[in-house]
Amino acid sequence: MRTRWILGAPLLAFLVLLVAAPITYGVWTSLTRRTLSGTDAPFAGLANYGAVLGDSTFWHSLGFTAAFTAAVVVLEVPLGFGLALLVNQRLPGHRVLFTALLLPIMVAPSLLGVMFRLLLNGDIGALPALLAKFGVSVSLFDPSSVVPLLVVLDVLQWTPFTFLILYAGLQGVPADLYEAAAVDGASYVRTLRSVVAPVMGPVLASAAFLRAIDAFRTFDVVYVLTGGGPGTSTTTASIYIYKTAFTDGDFGIASAASVVLLLLLIGLVPVVVRRIVGKPGEGRR
Amino acid sequence: MRVRRFTAAAIALVAMGGAAGCAGAAGGGSGAGGGTVQMVLWPGPEGDAMQKVVDAYNAGQGKKDGVTVKMTLLSRTDTFAKEATEMAAKSSSVDVYFTASYIVGQHAPSLDPIAGVDSSAYFPVAVDGLTYEGKLYGLPLDVSNHFLLYRKDLIDQLMSDAAWKAEYGKVSQEVVGKSLTPKPPADWNWDDFVAAAAFFTKKYNSGSPTTYGTALQAKNLLYNVMIWDDVLWSQGGSWLDSSGKPTLNSAAGKAAMSVYSTIYTKGLTSPDSAQAEFPETQAAMQSGNAAFALQWSAGYADLNSAEKSPKTAGKIGIAPVPGEQHKTHVHALAVGLNKYSKNKANAMKWLTYLATPAAMTTYAQAGGIPAMPSVLQAQQGTNPVFSSITDSIGTYGFAEPTLKNSFQAYSDLADALSGAWVGREPADAALAKADDALNRLSG
Repeated sequence: MRTRWILGAPLLAFLVLLVAAPITYGVWTSLTRRTLSGTDAPFAGLANYGAVLGDSTFWHSLGFTAAFTAAVVVLEVPLGFGLALLVNQRLPGHRVLFTALLLPIMVAPSLLGVMFRLLLNGDIGALPALLAKFGVSVSLFDPSSVVPLLVVLDVLQWTPFTFLILYAGLQGVPADLYEAAAVDGASYVRTLRSVVAPVMGPVLASAAFLRAIDAFRTFDVVYVLTGGGPGTSTTTASIYIYKTAFTDGDFGIASAASVVLLLLLIGLVPVVVRRIVGKPGEGRR
Repeated sequence: MRVRRFTAAAIALVAMGGAAGCAGAAGGGSGAGGGTVQMVLWPGPEGDAMQKVVDAYNAGQGKKDGVTVKMTLLSRTDTFAKEATEMAAKSSSVDVYFTASYIVGQHAPSLDPIAGVDSSAYFPVAVDGLTYEGKLYGLPLDVSNHFLLYRKDLIDQLMSDAAWKAEYGKVSQEVVGKSLTPKPPADWNWDDFVAAAAFFTKKYNSGSPTTYGTALQAKNLLYNVMIWDDVLWSQGGSWLDSSGKPTLNSAAGKAAMSVYSTIYTKGLTSPDSAQAEFPETQAAMQSGNAAFALQWSAGYADLNSAEKSPKTAGKIGIAPVPGEQHKTHVHALAVGLNKYSKNKANAMKWLTYLATPAAMTTYAQAGGIPAMPSVLQAQQGTNPVFSSITDSIGTYGFAEPTLKNSFQAYSDLADALSGAWVGREPADAALAKADDALNRLSG
């Protein structure tokens, strides 16, 4: 018993120092009028929560973030799965393809934003110049095309992440299941549907969950490319919190918005855990 | 045995972490102390120029003062956020902070007023902008303002070519609703600006040498509000009326909004302008895709540089911002003395040196735009834009009201107004939202 506690101490220390303490401090800050330049932080009760919940910009940012998250997850999980299946075929050059596919997730998102700001610029960008040679004129930063652009850029950067998880998951599908399906004369599509998909279900759910959580916190690329505009049309929840904290200097309200966001996201966890781990009583295979 | 060792290591690690945490909490940082003055600035032309001044001081006057200056350049986008965390912690790790007229009200509680400096050596508008509640909190360093930068070759042809003049009349009738005659850019009002933008846009004039007439900076960015303010002030508008009440939702505000939304919705600027700021505007001019633009003074030299802008070098003219009254926003970048510094005497020696014409001459020669008119006059050979800056700031310069939360006000106005600039939101609603923000912040 004592050994168990001793062995678990580092994890416990990690949880206390890096998870529980910051969250507690964040919650406490959300109950105060702490500002960046203020020297004291008087207790504010739930006033900051009232300010956040009554701010239409906050709700708009949540709505935009939810829609953005849904769009990118719906695209990235099937695309990542498709790529994983492709690379899993062990085609010639699959190792090179594997390495190349992982490159985008190694680039810092803010750097990616700067790169695309240059690459897609209508006056000096390589892509518009290339398209112009074929008589195609594009304005990718036009307000009507900027949201699809942000989705595409996220898909380009993060599909490799879902690919990586799903490819690793595919390695866990027992070979004898494929063999049994082949003996039964199942087609490739039927094998995917009846053999691979059920086994991969928890992995697909994990990939979707991880991407959803990450996409909900999207900041860098959007901030670099649009600053949350025009107006507040592309303001994500993270941009809202960042601006509230560091432009408005209001840490109390920014912390309250963070706590609200945390509470909204934490509601997803039991659903996903049930999907990944299985219902109580189902046992682990 | 292994478990014991592991436990010991874990305890040591936790203890170290705790100690580090305590050190940080006790913090505030002790600063460099002694003869070393720590200063923060942001990177870019100002940081580069200031490095030359720092080097000159450390090699010369600094030795006599017994002071060495160490400058840290933070990220350009997050300098003020990082400084704010230092200020909130009452840290003494930085002796001299970077500040600006649009944020000095927020910084003032953490700064000591600057005393013993001859403020008459600086542009009055720069000193006013850095004065909060009657006290000067920043030593002016650099000034920024706006000009109309235009292609001289194109405007010269417009002024002399009969066929172009005739076409200009037709295009202006179509876009502005009246047939106009071309004028020199220094005499433009906003109708002339819009008409010329349409004339140099292929959509309205297939013979135009440029794709778009102008390049609007309409991204949701606080610095873009400063440019739009030129249009507002030129219409007789302001943020606040004489009684201190927000007054953006006014005839002047609507007229200023109409200038922007007309330019954008009629396609006189690239649709990408919705996400454009300084670099995109430079790119539009450098590529030859735009004929003129409202731009920061810092853009002029690069557009006329054969090395950086081969297509436009030698072809860029400069004129005041258009309008019945020419107006240009002016802000001063500055340095301020940390109230919690433990090294104030040495920091003041450095600031006293920075206030000399000699230091500002070094700054100007290294690419900065000092806030001292006498230095700008004397250094006209260094940068041809200096003479225009002296004239323009002196004659047309204005500073927005210095609020405690000016920085937040600019940001909130960008949130409120940028959608309407590009015709995505109704102007009235945007201006009302902007007034609400100002009301909240100025109250």
